[in-house]
Amino acid sequence: MVLYSFYIFDRHTECIYSRRWTPQAAATGGKIPRPVSSSSVTSNGEATTGRKGMSHSDDEKLIFGLVFSLRNMVQKLGGEDDTFLSYRTGEYKLHYYETPTRMKFVMLTDTKQNNLRPYLHQIWANLYVEYVVKNPLAPTEHPGGIGVANEMFERGLEAFITAVLPV
Amino acid sequence: MYGRAKDNKVVFALFIISKAGGLIYNREFHTGMSKLTSNDYLMLAGSFHGMHAITKQLCPAFPVPPPSTTAAGLAPSPFSSRPSGIEVLESSHFRIQCFQTLTGTKFLLFTEPQQPNIDTMMRKIYELYADFVMKNPFYTVEMPIRCEKFDRGLDGFVKVRS
Repeated sequence: MVLYSFYIFDRHTECIYSRRWTPQAAATGGKIPRPVSSSSVTSNGEATTGRKGMSHSDDEKLIFGLVFSLRNMVQKLGGEDDTFLSYRTGEYKLHYYETPTRMKFVMLTDTKQNNLRPYLHQIWANLYVEYVVKNPLAPTEHPGGIGVANEMFERGLEAFITAVLPV
Repeated sequence: MYGRAKDNKVVFALFIISKAGGLIYNREFHTGMSKLTSNDYLMLAGSFHGMHAITKQLCPAFPVPPPSTTAAGLAPSPFSSRPSGIEVLESSHFRIQCFQTLTGTKFLLFTEPQQPNIDTMMRKIYELYADFVMKNPFYTVEMPIRCEKFDRGLDGFVKVRS
């Protein structure tokens, strides 16, 4: 299986942890020559070249805005107790888990993956709570991601991913 | 939501969103989703259109175009290598299957999470749309769909299946 990226957002809409497993070139899409004809761009209503020049922090903001709106849409349609789990496109799948304190855990994988929500829950319970929340030196809030990416958490995450999500 | 556990072949609703993001058809087959006003549905369709575009942008690995289209001299196919947006969205109570036609019209099918064979169903609905909406001489493209035959065709199809 392929793991593309992993993000944690706090309740203030800020991305406090992000990690990517994709090579830079693939992320910007600059290497693959993609056929673009002027008629094809307009026929579907969007341009295909808008991707270049997007930084990682733009990506994070887009993902946050997206899961936030999807979550609201799902709750509007299915009622208050309905939760958004995941979505899949032709190229990737996004898994979502939200804690009761409104922290959001997001993981992007390939499309064949089953729902990873239990794993995201485990990352929160066994890694985030253990190594970040219980760390006496970490601040209560994490502006700019301070205190999240400590060594124990990084190592724990690495070990967890290699253990439960075999390549 | 839970009273119908025995027959899990339930299709809640069908939305059709035009390529500009407007809701041009909205039909509920089964109660189960929250009751919303038509204004809310219009807003949801519009925001789904936007989110669909964002999911295309976020694509972490662009699809590699098939070798035949990259060969020099061949006309590049405009559709082969573009990332697709949301195809399936899952929540704990329902599932949204989204099918986008090559011209940008989106079909949204709201079903139970365990519903099988949504792809064939979508294909059939697209067929009905092509037959009774697009071939209707009185239908203006991009405008709300009011075609009785399409309604009846959908009814027959969805009811027979569930």
